[in-house]
Amino acid sequence: MICLHHVCKRFAQGDEAIEALKDVSLEIAQGECVVLRGASGSGKSTLLSLIAGLAQPSSGEIRVLDREISKLPEHLSALFRRAHIGFIFQKFHLIPGLNVEENVIAPLIPANLPLHVLHEKARIKMEALHIDSKAKRDVKRLSGGEQQRVAIARALINDPVLILADEPTANLDAKLSAELIEHLYMLKQSGVTLLIATHDPLFFDLDFVDRIVELKNGRIV
Amino acid sequence: MLANINVLLLDYALGSLKRQGGKSIFIFLVLCLLIFLLASVLMIADAIKFELNTTLKTLPQITLQRFVAGRQTNVSVERVDTILALNGVERAIPRVWGYYYFKPAGVNFSIVGIDAYEEPYKKRLSELTRTFDLSTLEKEGGMIVGEGVQNVLRENYYSDFFNFITPKGERYPLKIAGVFHSDIALESNDLMLVPKQAAYTIFGMPPEEATDIVVHVSNPVEIPTIVQKITERYPDLRAITQDDLRISYQNIFDYKSGFFLSLFIVCVFAFFIVIYDKASGLSSEERREIGILKALGWRMSDIVHAKFYESFVMALSAFLTGFCAALFFVYVLQAPLLRSVFIGYSELKPPFRLPFSVDVKMIVLLFFLSVPVYIAATLIPSWKAASLDADEVMR
Amino acid sequence: MSLTPEIIALLLLDAVFLLFGGIAFVLSAGIAWRWRSNETTELQYALHRRSYLVSVIINYIFMLKIPLFAFFIYTCDKLSAIITGAMCASGVVNSVDFGLYLTLFKIVNLYVFGFWLLLNDADMNDEKLPFTRLKFILFILFFIPLCVEIGLEIGFFTSLNVSKIVSCCGTLFSASSTSSISLLFSVDEKIWMMIFYGCFALSVAAYASRSPLASVVSNLLLALFALIALILFFSPYVYELPTHHCPFCLLQKEYFYVGYLLYALLFSGTFYAAAGGVLDLVQKRYTKRFYRLSLFFNTVYVIGISLYPLSYYLRNGVWL
Repeated sequence: MICLHHVCKRFAQGDEAIEALKDVSLEIAQGECVVLRGASGSGKSTLLSLIAGLAQPSSGEIRVLDREISKLPEHLSALFRRAHIGFIFQKFHLIPGLNVEENVIAPLIPANLPLHVLHEKARIKMEALHIDSKAKRDVKRLSGGEQQRVAIARALINDPVLILADEPTANLDAKLSAELIEHLYMLKQSGVTLLIATHDPLFFDLDFVDRIVELKNGRIV
Repeated sequence: MLANINVLLLDYALGSLKRQGGKSIFIFLVLCLLIFLLASVLMIADAIKFELNTTLKTLPQITLQRFVAGRQTNVSVERVDTILALNGVERAIPRVWGYYYFKPAGVNFSIVGIDAYEEPYKKRLSELTRTFDLSTLEKEGGMIVGEGVQNVLRENYYSDFFNFITPKGERYPLKIAGVFHSDIALESNDLMLVPKQAAYTIFGMPPEEATDIVVHVSNPVEIPTIVQKITERYPDLRAITQDDLRISYQNIFDYKSGFFLSLFIVCVFAFFIVIYDKASGLSSEERREIGILKALGWRMSDIVHAKFYESFVMALSAFLTGFCAALFFVYVLQAPLLRSVFIGYSELKPPFRLPFSVDVKMIVLLFFLSVPVYIAATLIPSWKAASLDADEVMR
Repeated sequence: MSLTPEIIALLLLDAVFLLFGGIAFVLSAGIAWRWRSNETTELQYALHRRSYLVSVIINYIFMLKIPLFAFFIYTCDKLSAIITGAMCASGVVNSVDFGLYLTLFKIVNLYVFGFWLLLNDADMNDEKLPFTRLKFILFILFFIPLCVEIGLEIGFFTSLNVSKIVSCCGTLFSASSTSSISLLFSVDEKIWMMIFYGCFALSVAAYASRSPLASVVSNLLLALFALIALILFFSPYVYELPTHHCPFCLLQKEYFYVGYLLYALLFSGTFYAAAGGVLDLVQKRYTKRFYRLSLFFNTVYVIGISLYPLSYYLRNGVWL
């Protein structure tokens, strides 16, 4: 499913080069749920960006679904994300000014699908997450829990096989965090591969987490 | 961009224009103003050209003017017979006409002498005078004036006659025997038709002379040959053909609107820079939004596409608004201020309405002068926005 | 020089093209120089983004050039009212020595830039980006005809002389003309007509044989001979005047602007097969879509243009 082979990532910050990832090798199987643990700045987010094809590694090789995503040109890696990957961001990152339905279908807007197909897809996801009654409401006017469910529906709109979550419970109260974990559990049940980057201890003793990978200063420990 | 229109993407682009609020409105207004100015100027030029062309069609084929020391003077009537003898000349008519400055109203009237026994030198004139009996006009000392002229006279308390002052300083009253209506505003607003005799008196001209001679030729193709023959016989005569007038007017107007356009291009350049600057400055929300979208699977081309829709919608709506505003300004309000750029003689001539003349050509021209330029200014900023790093949202 | 608003609009857009074409040229040179298709460094990443900008610019120029070409012809048509002797655009175009070359350059550039966009599409759809270096080297080459065209256009409008008397299309496109066109008149127009139909048959055969090379050759021949046959054989039927051979008067209102439609069909038909064929030769494959589009446009053109002599014959019982 995901295969990282001696991956390094360096950033130039001013005159000095910062090494965000140092010789990371990792393999994740289909349907696995893996938690990436580490303090902020340990390279978790960088690793997710690389796996999603949002950035290129300085050296090493990354394969996702047997495609070498690290070698794909930008526009093709975007298509790859659109087809196979779902994203759940820290603080949800919904697009203000768009309503719930528009936010949910946002990943597929450029795909130019027939409107009825898209609306049907959106309806199914919104019903599953009980936000279909709020479809036309501006996301700014939703409660935190509702916003979270919109973010999840958006991540699922393209029926992804891989879901990447970046600090999903940061800035959430206990109730919302529990709700989120419930959703992740259901995703895991449906056979989706999950990769969760977090430093929230809530994730560390969950039954459905198959593996915890610890990152420290850009290395797996 | 070869792909068909993506309705949802268009919808997204419209939404994002709305969300940019003040910035969108500012650009929209500036763009509207530019297009409005440009459209107004082109419309005024076209309308005046149209009016003049209509007038030109009524002008004689050849007008002969005599020049002495580089100045136009009267021509001897005897020459008419010599010209009539030339092969191909159908008619040659001496004209008596000129301007009469009417001080109280500050306008110039055109006085044209007409003769009951002479065929009028142009069709329009015979149309205008058909309803009036010219021989009684001569006997009773009357004249026929345009509707506009009648109004000017009435404002100055001349309701049934008018006192001309001859060069000798004597009063010369003529009755207003009739009023004609003309579609051509320039004609209706300054033309006075008086008996030839009266015209001679008003201008103080000797009767064996005429202002100029107009010539009709049976075959228009022969005009250049006949002009050549006449000018060989009388080197002091200058011949003006209808074509000469038409070309020189077309040139003057193309030149004037061209001059304005050159100024306009300077404005466009400034505008280009303003747009470039405005479109380049992305707020942090916009940057974040683009980052999210790219992470969700939008390609650079999708973002450029959306931005293209944005600028196209913006340019097209500003174009339509500016164009309609110009239509209203020029044809309903009669283009206050701006029209004086084109009507140099407006101080001396009585006013006239701009005739309606808008065609597809002008719309296409205005479109090419505005929409592509605006889109060009947004090309590089759109690309810059699209190439923002998406992994910024992950940090 | 006469600054009509139309000319100023054309010159303004020329300036925009020159500016953006210049930016694209500089970027292309950089990309062609430093592109390594098997490396994945930051530099290649940045170059890829820049290459996208170039394609955006070229797309913009091409998309505008199509309507502008029609607008250019239209402007010339309008100028014919001012210039003595000219009856349609051809008189104006030919009033300057290089006017005809300008028109030809405009057509060639449309083909060339259209081809570039097809190549760009093929490149972007392949994850190895196999043609990136090739397409930028090509753009550097294609930039030259673009500059020549813009230069000629500026020269054309500055040397247009309103008071000069020019020939009308009646003399330009006739056997008595001194130009090279008159040579074509020495051959019987029926022969040109047959060559034209022959080329069309050839292009259909090339379609049937699924050979890109044959399609390219037959369609280029078709484009050339369709124009010659149009001038020598078909145009008199359109005008219903045996001596009127002008390819520009077709664009006038009297003939319902039919020329714009006919030329659009002919150019797009031959373009798809020629440009698509070259692309297929480069990629060593066969893209049916191009040839099908080409066959469609060409067939509509051939039917459309053939209807003129046919209907004339049916109504009058004689050929011209």
